[in-house]
Amino acid sequence: MKTIAVFFGGRSTEHDVSIITALTSVIKPLELTGKYNVVPVYITKDGRWYADEKLKDIHFYQNKDFASLLAKMKPVSLTLGDTLTLSVPTRLGRSDVAVDIAFPAMHGTYGEDGALMGLLDMANVPYVGCGLAAAAVAMDKVLAKNVAAENGIAVTKYVSFRREQIAENVSGVAEDVEQKLTYPLFVKPAHLGSSIGISRARDRRELENALEVAAHYDTLIIVEEAVRNLVEVTLPIFGSTANPTPALLEQPLTHSEDFFDFDTKYMHGGKKGKGGAKSGQSSASAQGYSQIPADLSPQLYEQAESLGLAVYRALGCDGIARVDMLIDSKSQQVYFNEINPLPGSLYAHNWAKAGVSKVELVEKLIGYALKRHTTRQQLATSFDTNFLQQF
Amino acid sequence: MRRLLALYNIFTISTTLVYMMQNVEYHANAYIQWFWRVRDFSKVMQRRTLDLTKVAQLLRWTLIGGMASEFTVGILLIVFGVTTQNNILLGIGVGFIVLYPWIWAHLVLAPLMLGRYLIIRPQEAKLAEDATAVFGTHKGKRIAIVGSYGKTSMKEMLATVLGASLDVVATPGNMNVLSSHARFAKTLHGDEDVVIVEFGEGKPGDVASFSKVVQPTHAVITGLAPAHLDQYKTLEAAGSDIFSVTQFVSPEHIYVNVESNVIRDFMTEGLIEYNRDGVLGWRVESAKTDIYGTSFDLVRAGQTLKLRSSLLGLHQVGPLAVVAAIGLEFGLTPQQVEEGIAATRPFEHRMQPYQLAGAWIIDDTYNGNIEGVRAGTKLLADLEAKRKIYVTPGLVDQGDEVESIHGHMGELIAAANPNLVVLMQNSVTGYIQAGLVAAGYKGEVLVQVDPLDFYTHLDHFVAEGDVVLMQNDWTDNYA
Repeated sequence: MKTIAVFFGGRSTEHDVSIITALTSVIKPLELTGKYNVVPVYITKDGRWYADEKLKDIHFYQNKDFASLLAKMKPVSLTLGDTLTLSVPTRLGRSDVAVDIAFPAMHGTYGEDGALMGLLDMANVPYVGCGLAAAAVAMDKVLAKNVAAENGIAVTKYVSFRREQIAENVSGVAEDVEQKLTYPLFVKPAHLGSSIGISRARDRRELENALEVAAHYDTLIIVEEAVRNLVEVTLPIFGSTANPTPALLEQPLTHSEDFFDFDTKYMHGGKKGKGGAKSGQSSASAQGYSQIPADLSPQLYEQAESLGLAVYRALGCDGIARVDMLIDSKSQQVYFNEINPLPGSLYAHNWAKAGVSKVELVEKLIGYALKRHTTRQQLATSFDTNFLQQF
Repeated sequence: MRRLLALYNIFTISTTLVYMMQNVEYHANAYIQWFWRVRDFSKVMQRRTLDLTKVAQLLRWTLIGGMASEFTVGILLIVFGVTTQNNILLGIGVGFIVLYPWIWAHLVLAPLMLGRYLIIRPQEAKLAEDATAVFGTHKGKRIAIVGSYGKTSMKEMLATVLGASLDVVATPGNMNVLSSHARFAKTLHGDEDVVIVEFGEGKPGDVASFSKVVQPTHAVITGLAPAHLDQYKTLEAAGSDIFSVTQFVSPEHIYVNVESNVIRDFMTEGLIEYNRDGVLGWRVESAKTDIYGTSFDLVRAGQTLKLRSSLLGLHQVGPLAVVAAIGLEFGLTPQQVEEGIAATRPFEHRMQPYQLAGAWIIDDTYNGNIEGVRAGTKLLADLEAKRKIYVTPGLVDQGDEVESIHGHMGELIAAANPNLVVLMQNSVTGYIQAGLVAAGYKGEVLVQVDPLDFYTHLDHFVAEGDVVLMQNDWTDNYA
């Protein structure tokens, strides 16, 4: 039986979302396949790593004595050799567990952004989801837009600033923005997901405030022009870069003046949105109240789906991702907004609507991971020269 | 450590043992057989918890007191044996302490048996006597529902259709043995139009003894299949018991489901046959079924009844037809029969459809016989679906036929050709797998070690467009 290590938690503002992703959409479905020994690897908010069966239970994290319970556990240690080995504490000492496959279930910084993928590449372990480069680019909203624009994919007008620039002269930055873009605007931390730190600005005062809020979370801030007559849609995709498979276009049901923020996505079950649900077509999920498939004309649906797949290919995604898009419903123009290389809960609710169960989803993702790893093992990693002798 | 604690913690093992007795309705043989099958007492109570009835509390405290006393005596014997250097006493003391769970697991049967013979049996005899008098003087028609399968569904169908126009009462839920018939008799007013009584046969002689009490004027024999063979031993014995109802009811008032051929060996002159082709001269036409229900026309001498029910599967056509025919015989108008049939709904855990994560789940977990498997797999084959999943732990109480019946079950599943077959790891899994292989099944087979975990997380397995048929579910005493 192969051992799969599921990594979750981490030093990220999306730490808690990651726990839910791991427990509901990854660990339990993997266990239900009956094919794998599933080891949960939980990374605390301050970066300590633990591996224990108790970490598979949501009640452990909900316990008011969570911190003291965790303090009683011994952290796990890692060994990198020809594979990744976890040294897991046991009652009688430690037990070495060789990881056959890694399943990152992390969101945001130090996990989804390529950091964990780099570690796993070094350890030569097959892992689920996008590789280091794609993850790093996808998690940088500025880089992702640059890559998309270079590939001829429509994006909204945007500018970006370093945190230091805002700290030194927020008025100057705001003035610069006003010269290049038109209100209303969206201000976002460039590296965070789950809509954390995002604000909408309709005037100078709101813009300066939004810049300061975003700078609180990130070192790079992006400011984008809002799309008028807005319809937001999102498209989960899995598969290889060459052969991606889309799920269904999903339309968050928020009022056109709102946006799909963290509260709407996770805290209110989507009830913040004023759009209302159409009977029989909508679904309340961890990601909020949304309509699946999105209520678009066939032509516009196809246009958005094609754009989503184009972004997936352009960024070199491999495994799974979710592409967010903005549509001007009057002009019928679709814009790439951002891409998430590891969507919350894998967007399993959407895949289920598309006919892929949670168990099938994790099995497919493992299949892609193993295939990519096999391909990479066939690449040459050495080149014989007499360079050292000549030195 | 967990297993040892489950066995030697006096409070825990007492609760577990009483739970086991309660689960097999205090039948000593079934309890003892289960006790000796258990390897890990920490895993016995999976499906529910102990219902703390008065009997359960009495037995539990008897066990706690007995075990605690034995443990104390064991300690005293060890101490006395050591201080007097008496190895025999020391050995007995150790034996007392090591063996107390096994000793009291058996000793607890003594008060149970005494209670059964001294209290319960005389009580039941009195109840049966009173019930015999109540049924004997009742003015209405009394319909006995007899058979290896389909009894509860038939009872509910009759109650629904006849109940729309007549004053009808029926035994509630699964209350289908003598004591429950007797309690049911106490609720009768004596002037109901129709009284429907389900006969839950379990061993030879049951149907005759139920008939003596209920004194039915009509009977419906719903079918014959291998069930309760641990008691009946052979299908012939089960059939003889079921057909013993013919000694108490006139043949022209006995309706027999002849859908399966095995029942024909028991047919006698004058009994009324029914199946999916029709009944009493009524001919079934245009029968159709899908996930939303079943429809057909009942035609006789130029008259047509258009019948539509929410019940699933073409195997329901025969039972629905006979219910319609009985309704007409009892004086209902064709319109009342059509409305009554339209009001029939799937019954809990019997081909009951519901939606989960966009998939259709057909809950047939109360089905426990091969004819039900035949009907279910046929329905699964007929339904349109993106992906078909079949789930079962197998059948219980199949006696010496266990291997051949489960092999046949595998063949029936293979014929439905589901994409995925989920089996629960138990003593019959291999037989079903062998049947699947023999029938050339090429789909995926998944064997689940923890059935409860699977059922609890069924939503993880399904997606939009799937149809899942779940047939039978083993209670803890069969696991």
